[in-house]
Amino acid sequence: MAIKAQLFITCLAEQFFPDVLKRMIGLLERLGVQVEFPEEQTCCGQPFFNSGYRSQARDLAVKWLKVFGRTDGFIVSPSGSCVDTVRHHFPELFPPGSAEHRQAEEAAARTFEFTQFLVQQLKVTDVGARFPRKVTYHASCHLLRGLAARDEPKALLRAVQGLELVPLPGEETCCGFGGSFSVIYPEVSKAMMEAKVRAIESTGAEVVAVGDAGCIMNIAGGLRKAGSPIRTMHLIEILTAGKEAA
Amino acid sequence: MSQAREEILGKLRQAYGRGPGAPVANIPPTARIVPRTTAAPETELAQLLTEIGKLSGVTRRVASMDGFRAALADLVRAEGVKRATCWTTPEMDAWGVAAALQALDVEIVPADADKYLVAACELGVTGVDAALPETGTLALTSSPDRPRVASLLPRVHLALLRPAVLRPDLHQVFAETQAAGYSVLISGPSRTADIELTLTLGVHGPKSLYVWVMEMA
Amino acid sequence: MSQVPTTIDFRRNTQAVPAQMPAAVQKATAKFLGNRAVLVEALGNEYWQTLRQAGHDIRLHAITHIEHYLEKAEAAVTRAGGQVHWARDAEEARRILLDIAARHRVKLAVKGKSMATEEIGLNHALEAAGIRVLETDLGEYIVQLKGVGPAHIVVPAFHLSKEEIAALFHEKLGVDAPAEAEKLTQIARMKLREEFLSAEMGISGGNFLVADTGTIVTVTNEGNGRMCTTVPPVHVAVVGIDKVVPDWESLTVLLKLLARSATGQKLSCYTQFISGPPRSAAETGPREMHLILLDNGRSRILKTPACRETLLCIRCGACLNICPVYNNVGGYAYGYPISGPTGVIFASQILGPKVAGALPFASTLCGACNEICPVKIPITQILLHLRRRVVEGDETEDAAAPHSLRLGAQVGAVAIGTPGLYRLGSELLKRLQAPFVRGGWMPRLPAPLNRWTMSRPFPAFAADFRQWWRDRPAAGGKRGNNEPGA
Repeated sequence: MAIKAQLFITCLAEQFFPDVLKRMIGLLERLGVQVEFPEEQTCCGQPFFNSGYRSQARDLAVKWLKVFGRTDGFIVSPSGSCVDTVRHHFPELFPPGSAEHRQAEEAAARTFEFTQFLVQQLKVTDVGARFPRKVTYHASCHLLRGLAARDEPKALLRAVQGLELVPLPGEETCCGFGGSFSVIYPEVSKAMMEAKVRAIESTGAEVVAVGDAGCIMNIAGGLRKAGSPIRTMHLIEILTAGKEAA
Repeated sequence: MSQAREEILGKLRQAYGRGPGAPVANIPPTARIVPRTTAAPETELAQLLTEIGKLSGVTRRVASMDGFRAALADLVRAEGVKRATCWTTPEMDAWGVAAALQALDVEIVPADADKYLVAACELGVTGVDAALPETGTLALTSSPDRPRVASLLPRVHLALLRPAVLRPDLHQVFAETQAAGYSVLISGPSRTADIELTLTLGVHGPKSLYVWVMEMA
Repeated sequence: MSQVPTTIDFRRNTQAVPAQMPAAVQKATAKFLGNRAVLVEALGNEYWQTLRQAGHDIRLHAITHIEHYLEKAEAAVTRAGGQVHWARDAEEARRILLDIAARHRVKLAVKGKSMATEEIGLNHALEAAGIRVLETDLGEYIVQLKGVGPAHIVVPAFHLSKEEIAALFHEKLGVDAPAEAEKLTQIARMKLREEFLSAEMGISGGNFLVADTGTIVTVTNEGNGRMCTTVPPVHVAVVGIDKVVPDWESLTVLLKLLARSATGQKLSCYTQFISGPPRSAAETGPREMHLILLDNGRSRILKTPACRETLLCIRCGACLNICPVYNNVGGYAYGYPISGPTGVIFASQILGPKVAGALPFASTLCGACNEICPVKIPITQILLHLRRRVVEGDETEDAAAPHSLRLGAQVGAVAIGTPGLYRLGSELLKRLQAPFVRGGWMPRLPAPLNRWTMSRPFPAFAADFRQWWRDRPAAGGKRGNNEPGA
């Protein structure tokens, strides 16, 4: 029986990085995964949850659970922060013992961020990728800490043929996106982003690899503002470089 | 009792939804840790002296009374000691600390003298009630013959310890010191990094700490 | 600075951060983090995690049974000859201390570093009563001379250069001070010794209060804590009720965690254990010892189960050191003596959402603080609850956010949660953005998104996935599950 994966595309990836989604599908299918896309999905509600709008977050969680609850197989997403929300915060939104709480826990148990899905569930670290460039890696906070994905992204990068992985000073330091933080406290967000950009530039890398759309928006924008030729790429783009999207 | 007391205790109970005299759970086992295990006494002593050295304390092993008096003479000279205040325990008497200092023309100021006089002493001499090798720490309790000020006010603190006072960990030290009305753990001379993160010694407590291991019988 | 603020405007405060502050903060925090890392590695990560769990569990046990341990502590302090007072709020704590000072005709008080005394604005009250009060921790002494509060709970004056400090000493102390740390330290030592010896009262805080024996534990490197509690004839300790621990065994865990986490020392220079005044007249030390147990909102914090762990804090400062927000703004931006992540969760609750509603949002929720906290406080979890409290209110507090914001969020959530509206919005944005787009990015956008574009361009809306999915000749002709045709 083929492994089935429901795509949880996430609002940010859908709006700004659709190519990442297409490539993710191509890679999953090449690995033998049967991919499905529940079309009624919109947003998991993370921005509302993180900003204190718990009622609205609950409403969106109910809708998300309705869409994905009637699917089977894994639920896979290119975003660590969205998966963190589903796995850890959805159950908090409903009273323990309630039907929704059970539903949330059931969904949480089969929802995975992409690199963790590959390494932990598919047991794959070498996807046959080739990317002969100097690359540095920024560890997105929710992926790193929320999901404890310390090893999976770098294991995948190290297996890429020709890729030279150079360490990023302050790899684990937040880039300053923080969702609404970037517009509530823009001066601090700017300072954090600029520090990240300086750190990336100091590595001499050609590419910075990132696993979360929010970080990519922030870092890519910052590098562009700084006039840097360094490219910001989602891990999935590196893992599928040179291949057509599905 | 005071109204404030009743109100505060009342609010605390209310926060947990319970009345007075509610049962108290046992301290969970995961809240406890196992004490450090010791190595051989000689290794422990070596570690203690190394750690004290890292903290800018100066250590010495004293093998005889003659050696003690000679070392004391060196110290008095090097640190320009004219007045000293000391513990007056039987141990200190047995080592003849006060007598040795007086023989070096050092005036002994009793710890309960006027505090300005005590504060003017260059040297304070104490014993050590327990010592911790892992952190280079000396534990001193307080009593009429163990005045606190001796390890606090003078610029130089000389601590005399017997090897038998070494303890593996805080657990054993606390078991012995908790009944005392006052104790202090001293780890090196007084220090601060408040100015530009630069380490300086001798802020308010002693600027120099000498720790001598008294190994004579 | 130690006065209770009206409203904390975190954004305005961050805009006023002096240019040299971030570099100064980062120099200080890097040093502490580096030293800490060496010691944690020497202990081994596995053992360190065991210690953290033990620290969490003992502190949680203590505040879960807080009134039991406080009563025990009170009885023990009283047996040991100390006098215990209870203060419901800052004003009461100040009044109690002023009464003691009046009885002893105190003209000068010397003070060790204590966040609790800053919290209650003690210095201001003493000075208003005509009593000189001197901070004796070198960093606190310096910022006191300058007339500002602490910028970091462990190194309050880290942001001042030695030249600035030398100038300050020259101006305020009338001494010719060379700009060298060693010499400045000696000047402070000499000046403060005179004060220690002549003060009628010594004031301290307490890092811990041991219930079994009524023991106040103070932790310092300089010796000022010992001076304040030994030399003057009267000692008053102001200790938050959350500081209580059951027994001395508890201390073995907490003392192994505290200095390593704070400054990367195995133990601070002086850890002092005071159980009442000296037991005999022949012993040197204060003649009278008072303990003021301070509530000032802590009992209120305990009302919310999700927030109780706020009170586990042992005030090490590690979360400040690792926080990327703190590292870019320093302590003053938070408008409260305790800053950084622990300051945010504490102050938010002590001051309430109307005054401190901005604080819970002063975080990207990166979670570095959770990982470094020696007693495993789930700081970001508490922040999330406090954000919800500001926006929606909870059992303890009313919402502080304006109604219009909540209305906007409701509208937004409905729009985003309704697939048809969501997809429509997506298409609209792609069309509306056209005048702003340059090369796949939007360098300038109107308010409020100009808050983003002031620092970096915003990416262009480019949603085409759903159409692509429908158009692709998918394996087995599958589309979404159970979905009607588009």
